[in-house]
Order: sequence, then C-alpha cells, then structure tokens
Amino acid sequence: MSENQVNLNEIDRSIHDSKNDSDYSNRSKIGLTPKIIREISEEKNEPEWMTDFRLKSLDIYQNKPLPDWGADISDLNMDEILTYIKGEADIQNDWEEVPEDIKNTFDSLGIPEAEKESLAGVGAQYDSEVVYQNLKEELVEQGVIFMDMERALKEHEDIVKEHFMQLVPPDDHKFAALHGAVWSGGSFVYVPENVEVDIPLQSYFRLNAAGAGQFEHTLIILGKNSKAHFIEGCSAPKYSVNNLHAGTVELFVKEGAELRYSTIENWSKNMYNLNTKRAIVEKDGLIEWVSGSFGSKVSMLYPMSILKGRGARAEYTGITFAAEGQYLDTGAKVVHAAPHTSSNINARSIAKDGGHAYYRGLLKVNDSADHAKSTVSCESLMLDNESKSDTVPVMDLNTDDIDIGHEAKVGRISEEAIFYLMSRGISEEEAKAMIVRGFVEPIAKELPLEYAVELNNLINLELEGSIG
Amino acid sequence: MYRKEYLEKKSIFEDLIVEEVADGNISESDLKKITEKFANIDKNKELKDIIDEKSKDFSENGIYIKAPAGKKYETPFELDYNINSAKKEFNDNNLVIAEKGSELNLVVDYKNDDKKETIHKGLTRILVKENAVVNFIKIQRMNDKSKNYDSNLAIVENNGEMNWITVELGAKETTTSNFNLLKSAGSKSDIKSIYFGDGERKLDLNYTVKHFGRHSKSEIESRGVLKDKAKKIFRGNLHFKKEAKAADGSEKEHVLLMDKRVESDSIPALFTEEDNVQGEHAVSAGQIDENSLFYLMSRGFTEVEAKKLLVEAAFNPIFDKIPLNDLKGSVMNEVKRKLE
Repeated sequence: MSENQVNLNEIDRSIHDSKNDSDYSNRSKIGLTPKIIREISEEKNEPEWMTDFRLKSLDIYQNKPLPDWGADISDLNMDEILTYIKGEADIQNDWEEVPEDIKNTFDSLGIPEAEKESLAGVGAQYDSEVVYQNLKEELVEQGVIFMDMERALKEHEDIVKEHFMQLVPPDDHKFAALHGAVWSGGSFVYVPENVEVDIPLQSYFRLNAAGAGQFEHTLIILGKNSKAHFIEGCSAPKYSVNNLHAGTVELFVKEGAELRYSTIENWSKNMYNLNTKRAIVEKDGLIEWVSGSFGSKVSMLYPMSILKGRGARAEYTGITFAAEGQYLDTGAKVVHAAPHTSSNINARSIAKDGGHAYYRGLLKVNDSADHAKSTVSCESLMLDNESKSDTVPVMDLNTDDIDIGHEAKVGRISEEAIFYLMSRGISEEEAKAMIVRGFVEPIAKELPLEYAVELNNLINLELEGSIG
Repeated sequence: MYRKEYLEKKSIFEDLIVEEVADGNISESDLKKITEKFANIDKNKELKDIIDEKSKDFSENGIYIKAPAGKKYETPFELDYNINSAKKEFNDNNLVIAEKGSELNLVVDYKNDDKKETIHKGLTRILVKENAVVNFIKIQRMNDKSKNYDSNLAIVENNGEMNWITVELGAKETTTSNFNLLKSAGSKSDIKSIYFGDGERKLDLNYTVKHFGRHSKSEIESRGVLKDKAKKIFRGNLHFKKEAKAADGSEKEHVLLMDKRVESDSIPALFTEEDNVQGEHAVSAGQIDENSLFYLMSRGFTEVEAKKLLVEAAFNPIFDKIPLNDLKGSVMNEVKRKLE
C-alpha cells in the first residue's frame, strides 16, 4: 500500500514541479509541497524510506482537519512554518533585538552570559560537547547511545526504522502528520539491557541543530531492566521567531525497565506548543512523567502512557502555570491494556492574571486489564478573579475487577492560611508566595536540584507584583 | 392522557393551579412569556436548540403547575401519565412555577407494560422563585424495548431550592439531562441520581449546574450499578461563572462494576471563572467490597443475598428520600430483582 502511496505522491510532485517553478516566491501561499519535503530530506541525506515516510505524512497532513476542540489556534499562521523550514525566516542575529522581557528573565534566573545568547538563538552555540565529554565516555562504556536523531538515523538506522513514529503515527492528528513530514533534530537514546544510567540525560545540550526546538523528535528505547532519567527542555524561556512547536516524543520501556521523563517547559509567550508524547511500557516496567508547563501562548500537551505488559506502571506529576494571555491545556492519558497495571496521576494548576488553565485527561481501562488500579488527583488554584480554571477528566472503564479513584478540587488560597501566616509576622505577599510554593512542592521535589531551584525562581518571578 | 381524577380526589392541593396545556386554558402568549425565560437562560447553543424544538410541541401532553406564593404542599403531587395509551411515541412537556415561598413535591413514574415499544420524549421546566422549594422525584422504569429521552431545566432564584431525585432503571436506551441554573444569591440545587444498568441497557446521564448567584450551592451525587453488557456515560458539569462569589459545588459519582463486559465512562468536569469558590469532584469505580461480601457470606448469606444487601445499603440513603412508601418499596424490589 505504501508503495502505491509513494507513486501517487511522485506523480503529484512532478505536476507541482513544473507548475510552481515560476511563482517560487509565492510559495508560502501554497504551503508545503512534496517537492519541498523532498528537498528537506535530500539536504539531510536521508534514506529513502524516511523520504517516503515524510511524503506520506505530508499527504495525511494536507487531508486532516484541524482539531475542533481545545485551544483556539486560528491565529496560528501555518504558512510561516514553510518559511521557517526553508530557513528563510529572519533569524535573530542581534542580541539587541531579543525582547526585553526574555532578557530580564535570563538575568533573574541567573543564566550565564554565553548560554543566554545561545538560548535566544543569536549567539554561537553554547558548547555543550565539552561539558558532556566525560559523561559521554562513561555512557559509551556501558553501551548507551545518546546522540541527536539525525545522526542516529544514519548510524542506527535499523533501530530508528523499527521505532520511528510507531507510537505516534502520522495519522494520529494533524500536527503529528506535520511532524512526520518536517521533523528535524531531537534526541535518540538507547539503553541496553540491565544498564542503569545514573546521570540524568539532558536534551538541553542537544537543542543545537537547526529546527531542533521546533519539530524535534525524541526517541528513547530502554532495554530490559535498565534505568534512565531524561530531562527535556530547560526553565529558561527559549526565544524563537517561529511560533509553532510540534515535537514528538516516543518512549519504549521494555520489561522491568524504569524511565523518568522530566520536562520543564517555558516557551516564550508567542508560542503554540502542540507537542505529542507517548510511552509504551512492557511487563513490570515503569514510566514516570514529570511535567512543568509555564510558557507558551497556547499549549496542548497530554503525555500518554500505554501500559501494555502485566504489572506495568505509570506515574504522572504535572504542574501548569497559566498567566496573562496564556491558555494551557494539559493533562495525562493512560491506557491500561494488561492485568495488574497501575497508574497514578497528580496534576496541579495555577491560573493568574487572566490565564486559563485546563486539565484534560483520559483514563482508559481495556477489558483485558483486570486488577488495574488508578488514582487521579487534580488540584487547581486560582490567584485572582480574572483567570479561568477547568478540569475535564475522562474515564472509560471496560472491565469490572478494577479499582479507580478520581478527585479534583478548585479554589483560591484559603484566607485562614494567609491570616495564620500573617499572624506569625509574615507579610501577606510572602504568605501567598509560600502557599503557592507549597502547592507546587510535590513537583519540585521530583526534579534534580538545579531544576528545582530554577522552578522556584520561576515561580517567584511569576508571582512578583501579581500577588498582594 | 393525564389522569385528572387523581387531582379531583385530593382537596389538599387547594389553590394549586394545574392545567393541561393542550386544553388551552392558559393563553399562548402567557406560555411564551414563561418559556422565553428558559430559552434565554444560556447561550449554549445545543441546549437552546433542544428547547426551541420542544417548545413547539405543547400539543400532546403537558401540565402547567403553579404553586401560589407562600403555599406549601407537603403531599407529593403525582404527574400520573398513562404511557400505555400512547401510540409509539409519548411526549410530555411540563412547566412548573413555584411562586415565592411556596413548596412543591412532585413525583413522576415513567413506566409502560412489557409488550409495547415506546419512545418517551420529555421536557420539564421549573421556575423556582425566591425562597421556594421544589422537590422532584423522577423514576424511569420503562421496558427493555423502549427508549427514553428526557430533559429537565430549572431556574432557581434567591434562596430557592431545587432538589432532584432521579432513578433510572429501565429502557433499552436512556438519555437524560438535568440542567440547573442557580441564578441568584443563595440559590441551591441538589441532584441525587441512582441508576441500574443491566442486560444491554445504555445510559447517557448528563447533569449540569451553572452557578451565577453568590453563595449559591449545589451538589450532584450519583450512585449506580452496572452489570452484564450495560453501558453508561456520566457527564457532570459544574460551572462557576464570574461573580458567583462564595459559591460551593460538588459532584460525586460512585459506580459498582459487576461484570467484565460492562462499559463505564465518566466525565466529571469543573469550569471555573471565579476564584472565590469551592468546587470539587470525586469519582470512584470498582467492585463490591470483597471484605464486606466475605463477612456477610460468613454469616450465612448466599452471594446473591449478600450483594443485594450491599447494593441496597448503597442506594438506601437516596431511596429514603422518596416520599411515597409504596413507590419506594416497588423501586427497591425492582433493583433486587435485577440482581438475581
């Protein structure tokens, strides 16, 4: 079937080739074409199956409607994606042109000078390779592969081919299809059987390739009984002129393996963050998601865990902080597809200054998942009267011998608590900040120390002036 | 098809206005004035469409009930419809107005005989004015061939109280919605729902409360049992609109799953635009507690008997609120029979 598909595309392409040549400059109105996709693939020197895969995804992308639920993404200019992909967008070359608020945030967070420029996408790349040199040797000795996706596609083609977009197929949704067509950069991690990686692997050092921050593909495979912790993103806002992020994360957790996947995401506030993350967990394996969403204009992000093997487990701990002008639609999805699987979801959200925090979750228990256990807990905190907070958890249960519990609460900071703290000599502002910090503590304590500190700074920064 | 004799026998309903809408005793313009209130209660398009379509349909069955100010009717008033006499479709369209400080107890029991396939489409609108109380008990136990589509809307004004008890035991397919608008300060609504899904029954239950008024209060509590190949969707929507200060709302759902083949979906949603509120929801699902079952069986009960006892224990707090003892007994027996 895929062969037929490819042939069709090839015919299409030739039509476009001859017709589009003349109005080359107007291409952004036409959108993505198979020709452009081919060019991207050729530039990257990719194997043919990947080119075909991109073309197939493009076809799906062009035929799929935008989702009719969730965030309003009508402002999103899809044509700009093209200019970006072709490297025609005006890449900021001047530190002076980076918006003031982003610079200030860097300063408040204590980001080193060299790194700042790299994060803002204006300076030379922060040389992470040096930092990683020692670590890398150690990893290589253990047989761990940790490299960027594009290199992995060449050096470990078989593994990539076997797993690439199998968990998040391009026909999953429109942006998954787009990702399939134009993906670029990202991390590839392979941990062999019985290997425990002690040091967290950080993608932060990997956001180097062009477009890596936009359509990056992360593929992690954990062999039997192995262990790893992967950290994606960083708490400093990453500034980009392009405003769509449609990355994909695919995690394969084999028997008895344990993977922790942490994300602290703080995209600049013009970003549409439409990321897809999915994990499949085999027998007795464990996936732990730690997720903090602070940035972006619009986020729609629902990390999904498929518990495929008996006794597989999933944990999700997430915090969403929606401030002025932000609509953050986040949540967790869990599919119990085997007996004795368990999941634990703990989601918290804070809304302030007219921000809109939305929890949207799914818990599905298949008919084969007897003795499944799940607890879901959502708490929302509203810091003022301008903001909105919604909670929509969906539960779909298809067997009887299970134990499911769900709880959610919404409210503001209790006056009694503030009064108590104030009676102890703490100012009102500080009292409120303390309570908010306490509220996010379950997340903070899951993070490595330096990230927890940054998270704290971030919260202080967000609360500054808005509380009290 | 409304049994008027019922009312004539009872002098306790003195002053209560009860009219069959089709009789034409209330003028169309009056009716329009009242129903418009409901048509404009929400910008939710879907809801408006349901109302618009249904409001045209006053022709067949429909009662207009109005309790005068300050009058309290403790004896339950039964909306006693004879569904069996209907053709394939049975429609009812009820309008209830509880004037200031009045109190009304209403009971409706939708049931038909075993042979006929009936489609019931119902709409009930209730206006609860200042300090008035309306308790409405809705029981649906139509036969397994029938279908049930029932919409209920209530607007509650200052310190008014709208209490629902809904019991869903019958019909092949049942879709019910219950929408309460807590319009002004101190208004309250309470929805207690019981359902029993067995065989191939499909239940679609929608409960919505919108808090507009300050200090408004609401509760949704749903308890159910699913066995055989029954399917259920529970949707609970709790909205806190801006300025609904110090509003307090909660929703709870507990479902007992008694068969591998059941399907149970729950979507308990919270929508909040106001910070000074308390909202919470809780859902739990699972089997009958094994320890309790084991204990009862160790005391000589058979498994079926023990299950009956435990389900009865789960349902009784809600059943106890049904004011008519005969009705309560017969509904409880029906539940027990389903467990055999």
